Amino acid sequence: MNATIAAHMPGLVARVVVEPGQSVAKGDEVAVINCMKAELSVESHVDGTVKEILVKEWDEMEVGVPMVVVETA
Amino acid sequence: MISKVLIANRGEIVRRVVRACGDLGLRAAAVYSDADADASYTRQADEAYRIGEANPVKSYLNIEALVGAIKESGADAVHPGYGFLSENADFAEAVESAGAIWIGPPSTILRAIESKCYCRQIATKVGVPVVPGSTEVLTTPDEVREIGHRVNYPLLLKLDRGGGGKGIEKVEEPGQIDEVFDRVRRIGTMAFGNADIYVEMAITEPRHIEVQFLADRRGNVVCLGERECSIQRRHQKIIEESPSPVVTPVQREQLTDYATKLAQGMGYVGAGTMEFLRSGTGNFYFMEVNARLQVEHPVSEFVTGHDIVQWQLRIADGESLTFTQDDVRLTGHSIEARCYAEEPGTFRPSPGTIKGLHLPTMGRHVRIDHALEVGGAVPPYYDPLIAKVISWDTDRAGAIEYLKQALSEFWVEGVATTVPVNLLILSSEAYVSARLHTAFLDELFAQEVAWDAYTPKRFVSDS
Repeated sequence: MNATIAAHMPGLVARVVVEPGQSVAKGDEVAVINCMKAELSVESHVDGTVKEILVKEWDEMEVGVPMVVVETA
Repeated sequence: MISKVLIANRGEIVRRVVRACGDLGLRAAAVYSDADADASYTRQADEAYRIGEANPVKSYLNIEALVGAIKESGADAVHPGYGFLSENADFAEAVESAGAIWIGPPSTILRAIESKCYCRQIATKVGVPVVPGSTEVLTTPDEVREIGHRVNYPLLLKLDRGGGGKGIEKVEEPGQIDEVFDRVRRIGTMAFGNADIYVEMAITEPRHIEVQFLADRRGNVVCLGERECSIQRRHQKIIEESPSPVVTPVQREQLTDYATKLAQGMGYVGAGTMEFLRSGTGNFYFMEVNARLQVEHPVSEFVTGHDIVQWQLRIADGESLTFTQDDVRLTGHSIEARCYAEEPGTFRPSPGTIKGLHLPTMGRHVRIDHALEVGGAVPPYYDPLIAKVISWDTDRAGAIEYLKQALSEFWVEGVATTVPVNLLILSSEAYVSARLHTAFLDELFAQEVAWDAYTPKRFVSDS
């Protein structure tokens, strides 16, 4: 099963902090969105392994835009 | 002679500069990113030019695109506003190379005063106290240890060309120096491309007091009083006022003398601000110069009657100051409340679209600087400041009451605002009795706040 982690706030992608193949736990930070100069953490809502990164630094984000795909066990 | 001014910024400050241009009979050209294509400020200007994508790096921080707009518009001067590239020597130099006038200090002076050590050396030369520490860049942790023998711990390690509070780290005892030194160097390299470090003694219970000044090309300097900016949250100012309730007339005279000597020592031209720290024991130390128009300039305009933006334009156009320090009188008291698009309790950003708006009634006691309109966007890409509400009265208590009244009429639908935070601060006993310090908000938020009591009531009808 794949789970998609999406942007919860609009803004710019400040950085992605995980790499494909990396295992993540629920609550782990996977990316950071810069919204109005504030850095907001995007967290995984599942346990699993990062399968795909869909965004890069400086991409414009809207709420709900898929950012990271995580393969769950 | 300047005839057209390009304003390299966005939002409320563009409207402010457009008005000053209009007052002086100059044309004003705005710039916009894709996120601001429909923004109200672009329509208030006489012309507007697209400079790039929403990402500020591709637009408002894009020197090449801005120089393109100068050429396209035929502007003969550039006003940089605040933030973005307003103190950037590379941009100032690019403007000068494009044959336009930079409204601010020349690029050579901007380049020099970027260095905090250079400014500390100037201060020492002209007899203005600086926080004890080094006036030279330190290249090894051992040099920090040496300073530590002369001044008291804790020390603050700072970046010579830093800003925005980044790369300022405290050292409690000599054993921590190596580790902190390396960390500050890394931050400097990453954030500013420069890892030069200097050291200062940490000042306890500091208050931020800043002096507004104007300097013309002939070396005349006048100061327009001080501003108290102690109510902050993570380097974000929330409430500012002039005059400062803790500065006595004798201290004001001293600060005026300090700021004047500093500006002359730097060869400064234009409007600027000298920032001072006041220690718990009442000593003033020069901190840094802000080489731009500041967000909080309206409080100084209210108490002195001088239009700082008009003076920026006039000085850039070669005019000399028409008044002296003796002519400056501070009349009454002025307070500015910054309104941010953030949740009041958590300060979580709240971008969106303005769906409903009612602004306070203006008059002799109230001024509002903003670029809001129904249907207008508050984009997630830029600073959350959306409006400034400024009051004036003959005394501080009156200014507080006028500001509270105005803020209680400030109603916005579509985004959350920090207006309730402003009302909470202005209603607190600590603010009214002027017990201001940098931990002010932490104490105020220590207890649960009934935000409803501080939320402006909706009093516009459904259309």
